[in-house]
Amino acid sequence: MGETIVKTIGFATVMGLSLLSLLGLSTPAAAQADCKSVVAASPFGPDDQTGATNRVTPQVTKAAAAEIQTGVITPMAYNLVDGVPLFGTRFTKTILTAVSTMPGAEYGKNKLSYMEDTYLSQSHVGTHIDGMGHIGIQDCYYNQTPMGKYVTQNYLKRLGLENVKSFATRGVIIDVVKVFQAAGKLKPNAACKNPCLDGGTVITEADLQAGLKMYNVTLREADAVFINTGWGDLFLQYPAQNATYNGAEPGISKSAAAWLASQKVIVVGSDNWAVEVIPGEDTTEAFPVHKTLLTDNGIHIIENVRTDLIAAKAARDNRATFFLSLTVPKAVGATGTFVSLEAIQ
Amino acid sequence: MALRRRLLLASLIAGGLSPVRAETRRFRIALASLDETPGATLEGLGFTDADLRRSFELAARTLPVDMLYFDNAGNPDRAIANADAAIAAHVDLLIEYNGDAEANATIAHRLSAAGIPALALIDPLPGAPLYGPDNRAAGRMAGSALADFAHETWPGEQVQGVLIGDLADPGAAVTERVQGITEGIRQSLSTLQFTTLDTGGQSVRADALLTKLLLTQRGQRLLIATLDDLAAVYARNAIEMQRRQSDCIIVSQGCDRSIHGGASEKKELDPSNRGSVVLGSVAYYMDRYGYDVLPLALRLLAGETLPPRTVTKHVLVTAANIFREYPPFDMN
Repeated sequence: MGETIVKTIGFATVMGLSLLSLLGLSTPAAAQADCKSVVAASPFGPDDQTGATNRVTPQVTKAAAAEIQTGVITPMAYNLVDGVPLFGTRFTKTILTAVSTMPGAEYGKNKLSYMEDTYLSQSHVGTHIDGMGHIGIQDCYYNQTPMGKYVTQNYLKRLGLENVKSFATRGVIIDVVKVFQAAGKLKPNAACKNPCLDGGTVITEADLQAGLKMYNVTLREADAVFINTGWGDLFLQYPAQNATYNGAEPGISKSAAAWLASQKVIVVGSDNWAVEVIPGEDTTEAFPVHKTLLTDNGIHIIENVRTDLIAAKAARDNRATFFLSLTVPKAVGATGTFVSLEAIQ
Repeated sequence: MALRRRLLLASLIAGGLSPVRAETRRFRIALASLDETPGATLEGLGFTDADLRRSFELAARTLPVDMLYFDNAGNPDRAIANADAAIAAHVDLLIEYNGDAEANATIAHRLSAAGIPALALIDPLPGAPLYGPDNRAAGRMAGSALADFAHETWPGEQVQGVLIGDLADPGAAVTERVQGITEGIRQSLSTLQFTTLDTGGQSVRADALLTKLLLTQRGQRLLIATLDDLAAVYARNAIEMQRRQSDCIIVSQGCDRSIHGGASEKKELDPSNRGSVVLGSVAYYMDRYGYDVLPLALRLLAGETLPPRTVTKHVLVTAANIFREYPPFDMN
């Protein structure tokens, strides 16, 4: 257990395949199923390992580029720092190596010094993206992949992040806080300093549609959808509200996830830690929205997205669409990674 | 009740109580719970009224139901006053959880006069369908599990039974559970003798009581049935301190949060703790009652006649199935 990938990309990153670690699995899954009866086939063919980013064609990117009108950039990621909300077995620890700044340790007659970081962390921390290898049903993952055959001690041999294509597409912010306020049904959590939906609040497809209607937006294929629930207010209060943030969350329902999948979006992100409502609608079912989006439809999930700024800007400008700036490291065999993203308008 | 409303509800129920549509009529349902005093537990198990109430709050999210909550505070007069308040609030249905039979008779009479249907939780309310545990069946499940363990692990060896819990509790629930446990074990170990250790309602005493027994029963194989999960945890402490893991096994009742947790909240029943002397706990799911009871309430409101008694599903929850029964959500 505790499979890790070690990357050196200017600094050393140790990323644990957290789901496997949590489940204590060190060998390929014991329970093998007929994946053709468990998971839907990819519309992009039997060899597809990419998922919904296949939809980002040059035409999609060109159309999305039209969203850039003023050049104003709005950040959509939280700072990555020790102390943000994490779950029991997850951790982040940054270590600064600054030996050469000590007197006499400089390099050369020009006394060059340098510093580097060691970043010890699971990959699914902070603002992060879930890849196709993150969630399955038994050992069946995206595109009916029997993952038990492809799990090694260190990484996945299929469905890793190296298969992801571009996210150069249109982003859409859906401000569900505004939807609930307009409907007079907002029941905030007392710990939120700004309006937020309370933990356990179910966001339906009707709520999403109402949010789109507020800004006269119609979803189109390959859009990246972001949902502002207000719950991220608690993330920003770290570490004071970490327990509350982790204990529950407002999020989308199963049927809302199915509706988003039917719109052929490529990403669903939110300012919470699982996108879906927690506790779930059926407490005997584990993370059904993850299964619908990732496993059945190849749609990436981005968690802990900072949505408050772009939601506020949308309210000011009456405009909820933008060009999404997001790239994902080609981390071979990885199930996910922390990312940074921005809205460009 | 109007035919249209019945048809709407019937279609909703037939459709598996799927998320609410705009045209669906909403119902006001009141839950009068037993006792919300902090620290008060329910039915000799580790669940609290907060667990029970939360299950109704969660279950109501996707049903055409607006909930009102009352706290009977373990007081019959308060229960009657709460029923009066529910009647005054014109609720469509009252879910009553109150242990006093006399007060329940009064409540039933007043509800009937007001034309308000009721459902009873655990304790009967005259004329109302009852929902609650099958204590005897749950006990049998634990007893059978202990006997099966003995046959598989210690075939042919002499074993002794131990019952630990609030055995002097005068309530029927404890009596039924003990009866069930005894029956379950004796189905295949007909001559098994039991030692009883009465915690007097203080589960922590299970540690000292069992320690004393273990010191006098060296080398004896023990099949231990605890009546609540906290007692099981303290009994495990005693076994580990006396290094008797190889000849003791525990099965408990309840499966509350004191014995199981999430993916990062490691507790006794956990997939990574399969070697525990706590084999399992029979689940009563009092933290999920809302998911069972509210659909029953809607069926009643739709004009359906419910059986006089509906029982909770009971499952022996072990390290092998705990995450299936209680999927952890502390991971993403």
